Amino acid sequence: MNRDELQEKILTILTVDFEFSQPGLDDNLRDDHGFDSIDAIELLGKIEVILGITLTREEKEKAMEIRTINDVLDYIEAIDSSRHR
Amino acid sequence: MKRRVVITACSAITPIGWDKNDIIDSLRQGKSGVKPLRDDGLLNKHIHSRVFGTVDYPIDYGFKRQYRKTMGPVAYYACQVAQDVLEQANLSREFITSGRLGVAFGSTHGSPTVQRDIYRTFFQELDAKFSSIGAVDYLRSMVHTTAVNITRMFGITGRVIASSTACTTSSQSIGFGYEMIKFGMQDAMICGGADEYDTTTVAVFDNLLACSSAYNETPWRTPRPFDSKRDGLVVGEGGGAVLLEEYESAKRRGAKILGEIIGFACNNNGGDLILPNLAGITATLRLALQDAEISPGAVDFISAHATGTKMGDVIEAQAIAAVYGENTPFVTGLKSYMGHTMGTCGVIEVILTIYMMEQGFIAPTLNLEQVDERCGMLRHVREVTPAPIKIGAVQNFAFGGVNTCLIVKAGSELDK
Repeated sequence: MNRDELQEKILTILTVDFEFSQPGLDDNLRDDHGFDSIDAIELLGKIEVILGITLTREEKEKAMEIRTINDVLDYIEAIDSSRHR
Repeated sequence: MKRRVVITACSAITPIGWDKNDIIDSLRQGKSGVKPLRDDGLLNKHIHSRVFGTVDYPIDYGFKRQYRKTMGPVAYYACQVAQDVLEQANLSREFITSGRLGVAFGSTHGSPTVQRDIYRTFFQELDAKFSSIGAVDYLRSMVHTTAVNITRMFGITGRVIASSTACTTSSQSIGFGYEMIKFGMQDAMICGGADEYDTTTVAVFDNLLACSSAYNETPWRTPRPFDSKRDGLVVGEGGGAVLLEEYESAKRRGAKILGEIIGFACNNNGGDLILPNLAGITATLRLALQDAEISPGAVDFISAHATGTKMGDVIEAQAIAAVYGENTPFVTGLKSYMGHTMGTCGVIEVILTIYMMEQGFIAPTLNLEQVDERCGMLRHVREVTPAPIKIGAVQNFAFGGVNTCLIVKAGSELDK
């Protein structure tokens, strides 16, 4: 999956499941969309489904640094490439 | 320091309506909210009682996902009635978040619907379809889910009391909220309870032979409190909230005062957890009158717990007769309209009492065709009775041997 396809998938999840209104790639998830720790855990569950993997505890803890949608995409790409190294 | 505590807003989602006028119309017209038990794909085929006090009208909650994500069905009821009372009362945002407003709210056991989904993961193969236990499932199912979803949605920072004592849950909520304000710990409290559609509760009472099963084809004819042909209770669902405020501050801000809580008692039978107990119940009724500092003769109306079980109604009738003597107040069993809404029944019965106080009538006990002679010593309301209720007593008794009685004075009688 290339970055554009991934971006489309994540934006769909954020608008449909998380009810974001007009998300921008560099919006602050928490400040601009009320995204909280509960949402973060739920989103990680969805990322696991997209990638078809189970994230390790260390990988999940790294996700706590995510602030924007671009960060989410970077995070997924980093996980994906580390798994296929 | 003892302060007076008044009711300044109320809302109930019940099997006979949510809108006040719908509820009053059902009480005046004798409309029942008892319907056939739904197919839950699990227990309903094994249950003898096939009736349920059902909320079957659509409710457009309009809650944002931010709030919905931690709510099971029970919390939807709770947050909706809490929102209703806050809108009615028009409290300032500053007060709501000041720490002087608290919440006393509960349910029988959180959200059984969510708990059932959690158990599915134990009994079925884990796969993506059912997913595993979600991050928020505990928040949606936990026993205090109603109270804290209310605090979250409205930014309330005061005390939280999450009583969970089965059928006395919401009467305790009101009673404990009343005491919080009376003794100066809080200035206002949102009090109430909720319980969602759930067949496990029906199964429990069914196994105890306490559920009605003789009227499965004619649900509106049951429950039948105090009637000689009663055959048990009918489980129901709903939610209800009242806003309690300290009297002087409510008056200062020009709030509409619907009623005053003038007395509350709560005790335990100190023994059996199921059987109704005459000594325990009688003591509760007397303690409530003592707390209100009134004589039995001052009470015009009793909203009896009256679930329609064979023994419970007789013991309650004996307790009322023991406390009130030969000339009892008017007595109505309001569960006859909607079944036993479990943790919600106390607050719903307080709200219905307030509506009747406002409207100047007393609703009869539905389905009371022939009074059981063992309950014959009470002044049963048999038809819609135009009579002003100045002071009403709302009685509730629960599994676990918990008893409550709330004494409510009509808003129109406040300074008389």
